[in-house]
Amino acid sequence: MSRANSATWLRQQRWAWPTWPARGLARSLPWLLPLALFTTWAVGAQQGWVSPQVLPAPAYVYDTLKDLAISGDLWANTSASLQRVLLGYALGTSLGLVLGGLMGLSRAAEAYLLPSFNALVQIPVLGWLPFALLLFGIGEPLKYALIAHAALVPVTLGTLQAFRQAPVKWLEVGRAYGFSRRQLVTGVVLPAALPTLFTALRLGFTKAWLSLVVVELVASSEGLGYLIVYGRQLFQLDLVMAAVVVVGAIGYLIDRGFDALERRLGAWRPV
Amino acid sequence: MQANSLVLDHVSKHFTQPNNGAALQVLDDIALNIAPGEFISIVGASGCGKSTLLRLILGLESEFEGQILLGGRAIRGTGLERGIVFQDHRLFPWLNVRDNIAVGLKNSPLASAAKQQVVREHLALVGLERFAEAYPHQISGGMAQRVAIARGLVNRPSVLLLDEPFGALDALTRARLQNELQRIWAQENITMVLVTHDVEEAVFLGDRVVVMQPNPGRIKRIVDVGLPHPRQRSDARLVALRDDVLGDFLDA
Ligand SMILES: Nc1ncnc2c1ncn2[C@@H]1O[C@H](COP(=O)(O)OP(=O)(O)O)[C@@H](O)[C@H]1O
Ligand SMILES: [Mg+2]
Repeated sequence: MSRANSATWLRQQRWAWPTWPARGLARSLPWLLPLALFTTWAVGAQQGWVSPQVLPAPAYVYDTLKDLAISGDLWANTSASLQRVLLGYALGTSLGLVLGGLMGLSRAAEAYLLPSFNALVQIPVLGWLPFALLLFGIGEPLKYALIAHAALVPVTLGTLQAFRQAPVKWLEVGRAYGFSRRQLVTGVVLPAALPTLFTALRLGFTKAWLSLVVVELVASSEGLGYLIVYGRQLFQLDLVMAAVVVVGAIGYLIDRGFDALERRLGAWRPV
Repeated sequence: MQANSLVLDHVSKHFTQPNNGAALQVLDDIALNIAPGEFISIVGASGCGKSTLLRLILGLESEFEGQILLGGRAIRGTGLERGIVFQDHRLFPWLNVRDNIAVGLKNSPLASAAKQQVVREHLALVGLERFAEAYPHQISGGMAQRVAIARGLVNRPSVLLLDEPFGALDALTRARLQNELQRIWAQENITMVLVTHDVEEAVFLGDRVVVMQPNPGRIKRIVDVGLPHPRQRSDARLVALRDDVLGDFLDA
């Protein structure tokens, strides 16, 4: 029985609805809410519950999306955003892994760094903005820094937690079989930390992706966030909606990607 | 590996209590000579220091009074000539059954082909060939404990320490694994030290049964079972011995 199968099996046990075809139902459950929302949107737009300027119909948004795709604007803005997020995420994650790993593996490092870190992360991003503007200017580096900051916090704290919980019972097994310090780290601490670590990386990405729109609100002339701002200023809500759909879809796909990667790497999950 | 005699030479152990810094005596003057290939059962109420004693023999704790000698030499730290089966199987959940057994061989001098061969043999020894690829959460508690036994045996240690290995299992599985352990012991010529709070198990498996009493943990008496293996559970002499040892706990 593969791990994926046993997970599905477990879920079916929990949702044991005797009179329903359990498999089909379990698969369609996640789609119920989005479908209901979409229907409300479509019906509401058609019935004119809200003015079309405020809530454009799905078909109109779809046309806008198609126009954007044909003109190449969609790809240009998406790639600008992706580039920012990937770079900012890479920066923030690398720093977070180092900081969290350091604090998780060394009590001394934790004593030196964690209190300051905890104090600094209490300051909201917008609080840093004036200072960041002076430091990085208003160009791309500012955006990288803010996105990196968004990813940094969850990745650091998650990494710290992942390493700190290195379980004594497994470390003792390692010691019983003569593991060296290095073997203990690579053979016990790291694999034991992997699930928590992965969750942290995933959460870090979500935070980075969410911060994108805010960052592109500040000052930019391209990007998905910029499309949203631009659409709002021109009161083209179809453009806003189209950009929102793209932001959501990409975020969702990348999250799925993380999921698949986690399976591929064989990160075990606590049962 | 050649079986070696294991000598506990007046072993005592104190812990410093974390809350008040006072010393807590857990083991008091444990003296025991274990012959090569002997099966020793240690029974005692919970808290009388059985696990601590095994941890000392295993080398996880190095602070104690007295001496522990294996083959005439004082033990220092852990070593591949001493294997352990913990009460909670302690398999690595990120490794499948085969790789969990191979954990025992990580620092063995064998070549990698030989290691694979040894792992295969031990999968067969505990009857889990078909589950080599399964992960710990996919197998039953009894199977997990068999994997842990296989992991403890792969180095052909001269001593295998077992800390209440079947304590968490249901009665039927426990009885089956006791038979299996008896078979493995007879086949492998390994000294076994089994800690248990199950008197019947202690008497059924042990050549000698060491009865411990608590506060501080010390040896109350040592019972010679003196019956050949393999044994029948229903053997009247075993039943009588069991009742005799149980009496130690009832009138304590
Ligand atoms: N690391 C430790 N520090 C302090 N006290 C301990 C430690 N380990 C065990 N003890 C104490 O030693 C006593 C014996 O424990 P243990 O060897 O686990 O007993 P048993 O295995 O017979 O149940 C208990 O009172 C326990 O609280
Ligand atoms: Mg114990």
